Amino acid sequence: MSKEYSVLGKSEIKVDSLEKVLGTAKYAGDYDMPGMLYGGVFRSTVPHAYIKKLNLEKARKMPGVACVLDHTAIPGINRFGIIIKDEPCLVDDKVRRYGDAIAVVAAETKEILAEALEAIEVEYEEIEPIFTIERALEEDSPKIHGDSNIHATKHLEHGDVDGAFEKFDVIVEHEYSTHRLSHMFIEPDAGVAYIDENGMLTVVASTQNPHYDRGEVAKMLGVPTNRVRVKQATTGGGFGGKLDIGVQLHCALLTYYTKKPVKIVRGRKESTTVSSKRHPMVMKAKTGATKDGKILVTDIFQYGDTGAYASYGPAVIGRSPVHAAGPYDVPNVRVHAVFTYTNNPMSGAFRGFGVPQAAVVHEGQMNAIAEKLNMSQFDIRMINAQTVGCTLPTGQKLTESVGFKDTLTLAMEKAREVMDFSEGEL
Amino acid sequence: MKQITIEVTVNGTKGKLTIDPNKRLLDMLREDLGLTSVKEGCSEGECGACTVIFNGDPVTTCCMLAGQADGAEIITVEGLAIGGKIDPVQQAFMEVGAVQCGYCIPGMLLTAKALLMKNPDPTDAEIRVAMSGNLCRCTGYAKIHDGVKLAAKMMKEQQKEAVNE
Repeated sequence: MSKEYSVLGKSEIKVDSLEKVLGTAKYAGDYDMPGMLYGGVFRSTVPHAYIKKLNLEKARKMPGVACVLDHTAIPGINRFGIIIKDEPCLVDDKVRRYGDAIAVVAAETKEILAEALEAIEVEYEEIEPIFTIERALEEDSPKIHGDSNIHATKHLEHGDVDGAFEKFDVIVEHEYSTHRLSHMFIEPDAGVAYIDENGMLTVVASTQNPHYDRGEVAKMLGVPTNRVRVKQATTGGGFGGKLDIGVQLHCALLTYYTKKPVKIVRGRKESTTVSSKRHPMVMKAKTGATKDGKILVTDIFQYGDTGAYASYGPAVIGRSPVHAAGPYDVPNVRVHAVFTYTNNPMSGAFRGFGVPQAAVVHEGQMNAIAEKLNMSQFDIRMINAQTVGCTLPTGQKLTESVGFKDTLTLAMEKAREVMDFSEGEL
Repeated sequence: MKQITIEVTVNGTKGKLTIDPNKRLLDMLREDLGLTSVKEGCSEGECGACTVIFNGDPVTTCCMLAGQADGAEIITVEGLAIGGKIDPVQQAFMEVGAVQCGYCIPGMLLTAKALLMKNPDPTDAEIRVAMSGNLCRCTGYAKIHDGVKLAAKMMKEQQKEAVNE
């Protein structure tokens, strides 16, 4: 263990920190190219509607406007999405959320762009918007995609849950809800598309996912993937929120038609409106334990709101149930998860993929049982903590490296040093 | 629109600029002067990414008109490293690992620099108050706080060396 390494075990200066403190690191919005146009998106101001009329002509006739496009201009496939292709590059059938992209504009200056976006006229035929999971699940609710508002379901069962509920000494039953959360990366989404000296359509963007962006741009333009290149600019934070495509499709489409570089920089409001969010979840939990504090069984329903588009919903609903019992050895576990589409902002990847929401429940239940048994919150966790030899609800057996008990013990020692427990221990 | 002419000193160089009167100071620095270290984050004075040192004070340039800079002296991050030698705040931020995505960093550095120009030996509380207008979503602020402390220490050592020489 005492072997000296050149890098391991040392505090090294991050490779890109010099250019960042000098201010020379180039973020997508810092790109400026000869003949570059400024792109922008005309977005819906209603959450759920058919488009009855769209008038782009006034904007098209304005001096300095290079290009105004709606979905009819898309040469390839007008559907994208990281896992399920359910989001249009530009709305064709109907608007599914406030802020859906309806038309794109490229103009010579930012000022002309703003005026052109103002000059676009739209008429909606509104549909009842769905803002809650409950309404989404009702039979007579309008359907956002296809013939069901259920985006996905997952079921996990381990042990004998119904049998175990006959043996407990105490039971706690609670409902929890978590809210929608924005990543709020400090750099709003931005990108620039151009055709390079070899005729390659290139997009430089603030992104966490350039390889995926490339495939989506190629499909939308109806060109082979090897005719598109996507480069990641220095990216000002993402935290999962820049895994979904941002401005890349719209920049690329405008460059495809104008043959000129087109830059799109979202304002903070636009960026926050249309980028993904953490899934709001409603979770119902019933947990049974012995009078000594050993948890025997937990039965959990997880309802998630994936919003107007699936984004990373299929991945979040995969993660959240398997973490529902937390880092505890619970022999009997049942989790049923249902995620619905709504007309709310799209929910997607956000550090933890549904696991933080699950933690609110297993920790809340743990404290509730401790309170009921008049035990300390620390002791009940030590009694139930996973150790080597435990089997997880997924069937995985833990054979090594389970540091939870050690971590808890050290954390408690530290807490005793720095916290005042004179009014009682945790 | 009738343009206006202003005289402004940026990073030690004095010059005249003719600009639209409705132009934000942020856009003047980024577009007219090419100082792209000045970042736009929220456009409403909340996040501090567009901070520069303006007559010795940290200000958010998204909330100022360029015309207000007439006669002013402005420092951006491009003006911190003088003669190929980086400033102690830049060095300190690198050393403590205060730089992650980097987008907030120019504003952080300038707020820190403005503090240390006025108060070379700030307390922890003074650092926190001074830095409270600059938001970072990566680091959790502890390392940024450490960076400002280290910068203060480095500046003191530099001064001692200068006196000894």
